[in-house]
Amino acid sequence: MFGYYITLGCFLEVWCQGLFFLFFDVMILGNMIILAIETSCDETSASVLKAGSKKLELLSNVVSSQINIHAVYGGVVPEVAARQHVHNILPVIDEALKTAKIKPAKIDLLAVVPGPGLITSLMVGVETAKSLSFAWQKPLLEVNHMYGHIAGNFLQPIVFPAICLVVSGGHTEIVHLKNYQTYKKIGQTVDDASGEAYDKVAKLLNLGYPGGPKVSAEADKFTLLSKEGVGGGLPRIKLPRPMLNSGDFNFSFSGLKTAVLYATQKMTKKELLERTPEICFEFQEATIEVLTKKTLTAAKQFKAKTILMAGGVAANKRLREQLREMSEANGFAFSVPEFKLCTDNAAMIAIASYYLSQNKKTPLDNWQKIKVDPNWELA
Amino acid sequence: MKIISNSEKQTFKIANEFAKKLSGGEVLCLLGDLGAGKTAFIKGLASGLGVKNIITSPTFVLMKVYEGKNKIILSHIDAYRLDSGAELQYIGADEYLNDSNCITAIEWADRVKDIWPKNKILIKFKILEGNKREINIT
Repeated sequence: MFGYYITLGCFLEVWCQGLFFLFFDVMILGNMIILAIETSCDETSASVLKAGSKKLELLSNVVSSQINIHAVYGGVVPEVAARQHVHNILPVIDEALKTAKIKPAKIDLLAVVPGPGLITSLMVGVETAKSLSFAWQKPLLEVNHMYGHIAGNFLQPIVFPAICLVVSGGHTEIVHLKNYQTYKKIGQTVDDASGEAYDKVAKLLNLGYPGGPKVSAEADKFTLLSKEGVGGGLPRIKLPRPMLNSGDFNFSFSGLKTAVLYATQKMTKKELLERTPEICFEFQEATIEVLTKKTLTAAKQFKAKTILMAGGVAANKRLREQLREMSEANGFAFSVPEFKLCTDNAAMIAIASYYLSQNKKTPLDNWQKIKVDPNWELA
Repeated sequence: MKIISNSEKQTFKIANEFAKKLSGGEVLCLLGDLGAGKTAFIKGLASGLGVKNIITSPTFVLMKVYEGKNKIILSHIDAYRLDSGAELQYIGADEYLNDSNCITAIEWADRVKDIWPKNKILIKFKILEGNKREINIT
């Protein structure tokens, strides 16, 4: 009763200041403050989201990357990653709260990723979130990492139905979304993920880790040379477009990597060095062609209104351009998160948890039930 | 036993037949370069064990576990990013290595030599000309 009078008092005061609508939101529909934690691979991240009924506002998104630490090994080393997460997690959460100017007491919901990912990395985030949930007496929601990637698109309203191409180091999938919370996977890679193919090709060509940016940079060199009339325009090497006409929405990238291997086997060291930009260009074209064409076919077949893209590989500039062009030319709206919301981050998990929380009530003591699941696939 | 495979399809078939000789508890250590046929072999192996799921690369998550016919379990491990077998304990691989219902297949097994059991089966892949591969099972 007492509380009621206090809020009513504030209400009237704010009304007088002409900020009625802002406060109306807070009181009647409720602004929700979410703290999300993400540690599924090699980034330690925490984010604070303020979710009102009309708009989502990211108050902070802190990401501590380990990429330089793992580059020497040519990939993420699980044990090293876990130790780094342990080292980083509390300072990162602290920073996220400070930047957002939010005290723990103000938090309404905690969110964390139990999978898919590296078990040792996931455990650090999940155990930390569970401890906070218990200590602060806040509900904890589990969010699938891949759904999180998709939700990176949900800062702005989306017109459904939608088709989302999810591309990352561990996954390549096409997902059909009826609305923010209802979705179904309609296709996936049958062997390697597209991001993994980039890494493996980079290894075959001695380009280093992470493969994605390195291969793309080489491909850009070829485009530039062609413009200057030096490189000769079209690549002489021709790589296959695996499963392009398979009639389903599945992908395969293992054979494409092997095709790159065959192409390089016949070359001398000098020739290989000279033609690396050309090989990377053709590899990237082959990958992008299969990804974009299959996504477009899915969008047509499912009568989608919007095409979305998500995941770490969605940071690839050429892929973004191509899918946007193709989507818009065929009358689909197109959305891809800004670069920093494509790679692993907790902001996308916070956004995802907001939409999931609209569908279900999370009890205060559920932290005991949450367990890591490194192979948690999207349904 | 040395076998020459002339194609990816044939590698799949060889593994499919090989799977029928396994009874559970075996640890398969796969060795060979990128593109040598390890993926094709594992797919054939899984099919021979009656696994219905799509076998995707475990590189990202390190280990994927599938269920086949007659309660046989296939544990598919990628040791590419590991420095020692001890690291497999962190991901809970022990549980499967010592299970008589489980067949463990380790890609890039040379990185985790310290946990090779005495009764391991070594499967070496060698790239010959073009699509040709030599598969050596010992």
